[in-house]
Amino acid sequence: MALMPKRVKHRKSQRGRIKGNASRGNRVVFGDYGLQSMQGGWISAQTIEAGRIAAQQYLRSEGRLYIRVFPHKPITSIPLETRMGKGKGEPEYWAAVVRPGTVLYEIGGISEEAARLCFTRLAHKMPVKVRFLRRRPI
Amino acid sequence: MALQLAVEPRHTRGKRNNLRLRRAGKIPAILYGHGLECVSLSVETDTLAAAIHHGSRLVSLTGAVDESAFIRDLQWDTWGTNIIHVDFTRISEHEIVEIRLPIELRGESPGVREGGVVLQLVHEVEIACPASAIPEKLAVNINHLKLNDSVSLGDLELPQGAKLLASDLEMVAVECVVPQEQLEEEAAEAVPGEPEIIGEKEKEEDGAKE
Repeated sequence: MALMPKRVKHRKSQRGRIKGNASRGNRVVFGDYGLQSMQGGWISAQTIEAGRIAAQQYLRSEGRLYIRVFPHKPITSIPLETRMGKGKGEPEYWAAVVRPGTVLYEIGGISEEAARLCFTRLAHKMPVKVRFLRRRPI
Repeated sequence: MALQLAVEPRHTRGKRNNLRLRRAGKIPAILYGHGLECVSLSVETDTLAAAIHHGSRLVSLTGAVDESAFIRDLQWDTWGTNIIHVDFTRISEHEIVEIRLPIELRGESPGVREGGVVLQLVHEVEIACPASAIPEKLAVNINHLKLNDSVSLGDLELPQGAKLLASDLEMVAVECVVPQEQLEEEAAEAVPGEPEIIGEKEKEEDGAKE
């Protein structure tokens, strides 16, 4: 089941703009290696889940996967063949707003080669360009 | 012995000048501490990067100033690849410094052969130690880590004269556990349907009262 918030203040939100690069959530914190987004965008809860499953199937309970983004934003849409107007559409799915530089996933407890292979599989599911990231020395 | 870093005085300030400096292969730096004046410096990118990747924290600055200094803080760019600024603090050899050190696992756990997985839960610890004896990293030997065993922060071997600054010494740093399938657990956590809207219940109750 895809991630979504338990409680929210508002059912719908405005689209907003993604400006600048990530100044937080841009380093590996929990694991040893990370997958960093090179582009900004929305990553839906289903995509996050697909990535998690892809990684988990490779990991086969070895090591540990950390998901660093959470879909906080409700995305609405208007049904097909509907005339314009009549207000904002209904929430369709939840998405995480990602800035360039955000670390999406982290892995710990496995070798670098294994982590690279795992993230390669995971990267195919992502709607943004991503890259492999190591922990910073200091 | 502390690594030598050649530094040059920096007279320019501001975003644009620092950008030019970085393009020229240098990194803006600052030296402060001991109640003396702050000195703006610049340092060669390659030599600093080599020192950082080597794990050196104590350096002896030469050129514009001749002092031993401690790398207090580093600023990285968004991608975590380039250093964009360095803070040096003046330091004397016997001064006690507080420093965050990475934990490195060494050896092979016998628990892994029994089907376990070694998980490192804490990657950095803060210690206080004399400036002359700052280690690059804290090595944890996991050759004796059996299945379902753990190493807590209190068990870490510290260099002579060092003191751990963690509040909870019982905190598990490394453990060897039986791997668990996360798929089912996380699936059970997720709740289908729409999320609860904060304040909507109260509104409905108020409406019902009226």
